[in-house]
Amino acid sequence: MFEKVLIANRGEIALRIHRACREMGIKTVAVHSTADAAAMHVRLADETVCIGPPAARDSYLNVAAILSAATITGADAIHPGLGFLAEDADFAAAVEEHGFTFIGPSAEHIRLMGDKVAAKDAIRKLGIPTVPGSAGVHDLAAAEAAASAIGYPILIKASAGGGGRGMKVADDRSELAHMLPIAQHEAASFFGCGEVYLERHLERPRHIEIQILGDGLGGIVHLGERDCSLQRSHQKVLEESPSPALNQEQRDRLGALAVAALRELGYKGVGTLEFLYQDGEFFFIEMNTRLQVEHPVTEMISGLDIVREQLRIAAGAPLGYHQADIKLCGHAIECRINAECPNTFAPSPGRVTDYHAPGGLGVRVDSALYQGYGVPPYYDSLISKLVIHGKSRNECLMRLRRALEEYVIGGIETTIPLHQRLVTAAEFIDGDYDVHWLERFVGRPA
Amino acid sequence: MKIGGRSPPFPDAELVRTLAALLTETGLTEIEYAVGDRRIRVARTAGGPAPLGASSAPSAAGGSIEHPGAVKAPIVGTAYLAPQPGAPPFVRLGDIVVEGQPLLIIEAMKVMNQIRAHRPGRLAQILVADAQPVEYGSVLMLIE
Repeated sequence: MFEKVLIANRGEIALRIHRACREMGIKTVAVHSTADAAAMHVRLADETVCIGPPAARDSYLNVAAILSAATITGADAIHPGLGFLAEDADFAAAVEEHGFTFIGPSAEHIRLMGDKVAAKDAIRKLGIPTVPGSAGVHDLAAAEAAASAIGYPILIKASAGGGGRGMKVADDRSELAHMLPIAQHEAASFFGCGEVYLERHLERPRHIEIQILGDGLGGIVHLGERDCSLQRSHQKVLEESPSPALNQEQRDRLGALAVAALRELGYKGVGTLEFLYQDGEFFFIEMNTRLQVEHPVTEMISGLDIVREQLRIAAGAPLGYHQADIKLCGHAIECRINAECPNTFAPSPGRVTDYHAPGGLGVRVDSALYQGYGVPPYYDSLISKLVIHGKSRNECLMRLRRALEEYVIGGIETTIPLHQRLVTAAEFIDGDYDVHWLERFVGRPA
Repeated sequence: MKIGGRSPPFPDAELVRTLAALLTETGLTEIEYAVGDRRIRVARTAGGPAPLGASSAPSAAGGSIEHPGAVKAPIVGTAYLAPQPGAPPFVRLGDIVVEGQPLLIIEAMKVMNQIRAHRPGRLAQILVADAQPVEYGSVLMLIE
């Protein structure tokens, strides 16, 4: 097992990784920007190295600084967390070249799944249905031809994209002509590559994703699904497991498909296959070759520590269990709490003057907040994840309502009031929502 | 910056006692002991050895010394005070330096990066030891 792991990330996920390491007796190295010098995981880490000024490109995306920090601290392995360099295949390769273990899948698999067109191709060949779509289109003529074949409405997506960013809808030919150059430009500026591809835009799908673990030695299991349909601007707001829309047969079928495909690939590490589900049909959209924000939902129903499994797998250990050993119990819901105005979603960085996190049976808070902490303005606005577990979805909802009313984050605005409205909405209580529902819901007056 | 384990509470009474005993035993007048960025100096005064002060070298994250003459590390790596092992150091305490003059090297990923004076003046303090790891913002030297 590793003696020392460098955590190449920040915020609540860095704290999460620190916790998993410390429970295994592994020393931690926290690299941080100047803006994060007072972050909780930096205060708790065994060793710390400031790697740059606030801007992510000079700090959390600064490969040379991160590798240098690993060298001077004598770290054995680097955990990339999520976002930042977690799905940067070149970074994964560089880490290994410099003699450290990259805690994640191979650079080859990261690269494969990072190219969204190639990923769909590979997954389709492995027997999983994908959303009807095109390969990369480079001009309007090619786009129009592809769109006619697929059928409108069309979604234009970045080939090097992901995470719900840089997507444009076109309802007909004239909108396609209008949106294509905009989408290409955004793809180039967000992801450094202007190539786009087209997909059929499903009218009312649910977003269902499957969590898998592979040890690279032939062992692969799935840990059930998460329903992440509640999204605003393609960013997830609340996730739950199991999905209220699936029955056991569907769940088992989807899980088996995912496992078979990844066993074929020889996948090592954690990963999530994302699907759109509509009218009883599943369509693969993309695979994330990293830990995900919403992993606690799966941890609560499976009892597995996913970050611990990442560390064990990366250190060369076999899974040690089979699919039959995986027991998924109860229901779990995660609320992503952002430092934003709950109505306008304007960012609200600043000092947390009062802090009280809810507790009790089945209540988990993954957050790096503390009283007096200054939320910096330079990074994304996620500041806490409230994760509730209950024996049933109903028990979960009652507990979630209680936990939300108990949670105090003073001094800044947060989206706790939004979640409070959400958990009392009839459609949410009925589990009757799709990926467009939340946008309509927040458009309604409070 | 924290390297090599959690910083112990300061002052370390046990350490002071040990150094004081060493002073007496060896007949020295002063002992200075540094580990990483922590430094303690014990000196003999007329009445016997007494700790002159625990000066923790101010190389904390983000540059806690906002002195205009502070030379701060722009990168993470290992500081070397001479161009190569065995060679004389780039500068010595008290040297008058000109803007742009190389003061030390920070080695990162096998590349030697020269760190140059950002202004002219007298080299008043050298706050890193040879081969000491440094982080972004570490205060390396002070030019007055």
